[in-house]
Amino acid sequence: MAIDGLVILDSTGRPIVQSGFRSTSPAYPLLHIEALNDALSKAPRPADADPVLYVPNTGIDGPSACCHVKRGELRFLGLMSGDTDPLYVFAFLETFISILRDYFGQLSAETLKENFDVVYQLLEETLDAGGHPSTTSINALKDIVLPPSLLSKVLSVAGVSGLASPGTNSHPFASPIPWRKVGVRYNSNEIFFDVAEELKAVVNKNGGIIVSSVWGKVHTNCRLSGTPDLLLSFSNAQPLTDCSFHPCVRLQRWSRDKNLSFVPPDGRFILMEYKYTPGGVHHVAVPFALKASVDCEVNGGSFDVALTSRLTTKVLENMNVELYLGEGATSASCVVSNNTSWNFDPRTRILHWNIKAVSPSSSFSLKGTFSSTAEQPRPSHAFRARFEIPQHSFSSLKVDQLKITGEMYKPYKGVRGRSTGDVEWRW
Amino acid sequence: MAAQGGQDAKFFQRGKIQEFRAELQAAEAKDKKFTKRKTVLKKIVANITMGNDMSPLFTDVVQCLAEQIHLVIPSFLQDCNDRNPLIRALAIRTMSYIPIPVVTEALTEQLRHCLKDRDPYVRKTAAICVAKLYTADPRKAEKGGFVEMLRDLLLDSNATVVSNAVAALSEIGDRQDGVIFKLNLTVANKLLAALGESSEWGQIYILDSLLRYVPERHTDAELMAERIIIHLQHANSAVVLTTIKILLYLMNYMENRKLMDYICKKMGPPLVTLLSSGPEVQYVALRNILLIIQRRPSVLKNDVKVFFCKYNDPIYVKLAKLEIMYRLAREENAREVLAELQEYASEVDIDFVRKAVRSIGRLAIKVQPAADACIQALLDLIETKVTYVVQEAVIVIKDVFRRYPGKYEGIIPTLCENLDALDEPESKAAMIWIVGQFANRIDNADELMDDLTYTFMEEPVEVQLALLTAAVKLFIYKAQSDTSKALVHKVLKWATEEVDNPDLRDRGFMYWRLLAINPTVAGEIVLAEKPAITTDSDRMDRGALDQLLLHTGTLGSIYHKNPETFIRNAAGKALTDSPALNPLSRQVLVPLSRPNIPPAIHVPGPGPPPPREASVSPVPPTAKPAPPAPPQTGDLIGASSSADTLDGEGENEHESGEHGDEDSLASPSGSADPYANLDNAFGSYLADEPKPQADDHLTRLF
Repeated sequence: MAIDGLVILDSTGRPIVQSGFRSTSPAYPLLHIEALNDALSKAPRPADADPVLYVPNTGIDGPSACCHVKRGELRFLGLMSGDTDPLYVFAFLETFISILRDYFGQLSAETLKENFDVVYQLLEETLDAGGHPSTTSINALKDIVLPPSLLSKVLSVAGVSGLASPGTNSHPFASPIPWRKVGVRYNSNEIFFDVAEELKAVVNKNGGIIVSSVWGKVHTNCRLSGTPDLLLSFSNAQPLTDCSFHPCVRLQRWSRDKNLSFVPPDGRFILMEYKYTPGGVHHVAVPFALKASVDCEVNGGSFDVALTSRLTTKVLENMNVELYLGEGATSASCVVSNNTSWNFDPRTRILHWNIKAVSPSSSFSLKGTFSSTAEQPRPSHAFRARFEIPQHSFSSLKVDQLKITGEMYKPYKGVRGRSTGDVEWRW
Repeated sequence: MAAQGGQDAKFFQRGKIQEFRAELQAAEAKDKKFTKRKTVLKKIVANITMGNDMSPLFTDVVQCLAEQIHLVIPSFLQDCNDRNPLIRALAIRTMSYIPIPVVTEALTEQLRHCLKDRDPYVRKTAAICVAKLYTADPRKAEKGGFVEMLRDLLLDSNATVVSNAVAALSEIGDRQDGVIFKLNLTVANKLLAALGESSEWGQIYILDSLLRYVPERHTDAELMAERIIIHLQHANSAVVLTTIKILLYLMNYMENRKLMDYICKKMGPPLVTLLSSGPEVQYVALRNILLIIQRRPSVLKNDVKVFFCKYNDPIYVKLAKLEIMYRLAREENAREVLAELQEYASEVDIDFVRKAVRSIGRLAIKVQPAADACIQALLDLIETKVTYVVQEAVIVIKDVFRRYPGKYEGIIPTLCENLDALDEPESKAAMIWIVGQFANRIDNADELMDDLTYTFMEEPVEVQLALLTAAVKLFIYKAQSDTSKALVHKVLKWATEEVDNPDLRDRGFMYWRLLAINPTVAGEIVLAEKPAITTDSDRMDRGALDQLLLHTGTLGSIYHKNPETFIRNAAGKALTDSPALNPLSRQVLVPLSRPNIPPAIHVPGPGPPPPREASVSPVPPTAKPAPPAPPQTGDLIGASSSADTLDGEGENEHESGEHGDEDSLASPSGSADPYANLDNAFGSYLADEPKPQADDHLTRLF
């Protein structure tokens, strides 16, 4: 159960960073990179390439596999062999990516090259030579690998080591709680909870819901001094099912009374994720209706789409409706309602229709034609509609109270809701 | 380390191997402060980083540094005793990276102290270093007592130290020449206590190591499951899947039916949660779900909708979902599933469309009450005249005919109308089988066959075989017809005289003799009543399934193959027998042979032959690096043999069939399923096959 190594590729498929690979031949990572680039070029769409790529022949090292994910322009590869769990590799890649984000902000080939020493130090600390993930908690990492800005400052004074000088009260790993540093101090103590929910649904051509589910995440930004012990309770936690939690949450307590008891990490983290299952009714309603007809002719076709909000008070924002017009689609021409815009991306062959704000009960329409080099165009049989509803939550999850023990101060608390939707509407 | 933080970009200039070699050599002279060497080495590292292969320089670099190693060791040793625990840890870690005897020697002594260091960071680093030392020199590590010291660390007060010790012991235990790592109940419970305070990675190691604990009593397994079930709620998907793996494992040793049902119920939601993650995680989850629901069908029994495809899912996710939809389909949800499949049959992606059409046919075969609706759906699809849709429909309809003899033959004329659309061997062979098999119901069967045989010599073998058999069948049905007489004669002559393929030739001769000796008997043989197709056969063999589930979450579960057969450094796993093991699992137990034990050689001599030792190596001991093939029951243990052994086992496992558990797999075997050898009826239907596979020839043509 170990990761052979990690490689980061730039947008052209060239490696910019790679870990040690001490137990394999030097050709090992190269063969994987080659196999991956090959698979990507062969896939109909790059997104269709097998995410756990089997690499049957890696020279003297024997067969192995390569897990890969794309983030921005970069592609991260986790090479693996033996009885390793691909999810373990993906989970590590995800963790490493969020560490890089935390250290460098935007991720690009440029930033990684600029800071390649820090990147390598991070790799060294997070993934040891045996391929075992070690320190991945940001709080603990920052004690051993200084973020770039601080680093240069310290170096200009001390001049030698990249290691943080262990101060008396910030001794690394001194904290009994792995995710929280000791001695955190803030002038104003505050904690913010962002409840973000996403509706994912598939709707058939008659408007009937086939599948719909709401997934929620509680993003937390904690700026509290000392070692606070928090107890967060909700006024209506019952419809939350399939929950998963940040390691800081005491799971026994949640199973007992659906209260979240935890000592929070410092900074941003995701406290919990859940699925919202409304009692009684089967489905969460889709907040808009789409009426569409699409007709295909020789070398083209026409479509007529009408979108109506089903909400009575809230506004659907940034509504984006898209339709893949099929292999060979070359152009489209549309007439749309006021305050909406459309465009056709000839590269992806997707028609986009954007509506900034869909006010309550309002309707919009899109009519148009498209042409295609395919004699019998095969546009996809579904529209994809994405939208946002600010200050809203599908579950109406409410924070009842936040109790703090272990510290004397009274923190400022903020709770916000926001919702997004991603709906597949078949025609 | 990073003397010019942020300015190292200047080293990122492509250089040639030759230039670096020259620079390295030049740097060795007049370089007391090592600045020249440092600069060259940085350039080389930067080039490796950019993906330039610098491996030819390996010897040069070693040479450049080798004589310095002994100079460095004293400072390593000094660092090992530094006041700062970070420095101490870094020192042993760096030493463990250098597998040179002098360094290993020096490390051995230091490691002994560091494993007992008062600082947990040093101890946790030292634990991993032991695994490195073991790699460099296994016997030295054993003689030095390091494995025992690691075992002591399993009881350490710090959870991270414990989990790293587990990781190191597991790594050593997985080596072919390593010290076997087993857990007893006491230690396993100690590890569980450390679970709560471990990092997510530590939790994975500890949970995974529980596979090394073999419960001796049902209650031990049950209590342990109750303790770990809470980790199904972890945010880290790998922790969740590892927990599921251990729960599935422990269930093999349980007796309490209620608890097992409860666990199955609890496993569903976290698996569904994994499906809300990115497509990569979804894929791994889906492939695992496919295995889990075969062993424990009550998991996700009512959640088929979760697996409905979205049109913009990546193809690998769609195909995996499709296979699960088929597995979860039953009478109660068949209507919804069929509606979805029909939707997919009009999608853009051709490969996906084909699999969807086939799934409609498989659904008809699997769920009898839905068969009418499925057939109607297939006929509607044939109406579309889209070539690849028609071809897939024909292929599955052939199997539907065999599943429900005498029920749907009325649609044959519709199929015959589409004969010209068939240009792929598999669909053509299927259609030819239909024409031959039902020649008595098709008025112009001889004309059709005459047309079809027109291109006989150009057809691929599988079509030729089909034509040969169909021509014989036609002749038997219509012995009076001159056309069919001429046709069978022509085809037999071609098959036996013009064709090089031995299978075809042999079959040709066989038919010829049959017809020559006794045409009546030939008719009885060729048109004998065929066993109807069932879907029991496309389940995986239970013993193999038990074994694969020990690899839940790992590469083996993705490719549905035991990992030691296709991946480097993979150790095989097998259920271990114990008094608590449930009897059915014991019946189908596939023992594991350690590859380094040579198989017993039997020297023939006087006396009776010694009994064959069944336990030596039923699994081929050599790890053949074959690409992962699809989960065909064919290459596992024959379904029929397991069905026999399962007889009468049912009552030990469950009181009634309502659990729907795979433990009840035995129940249909009471009727001694005569069709079990049709295991490959769906060989090429496996929608989820990640690798190309060899063509599955239609070998059972008659």
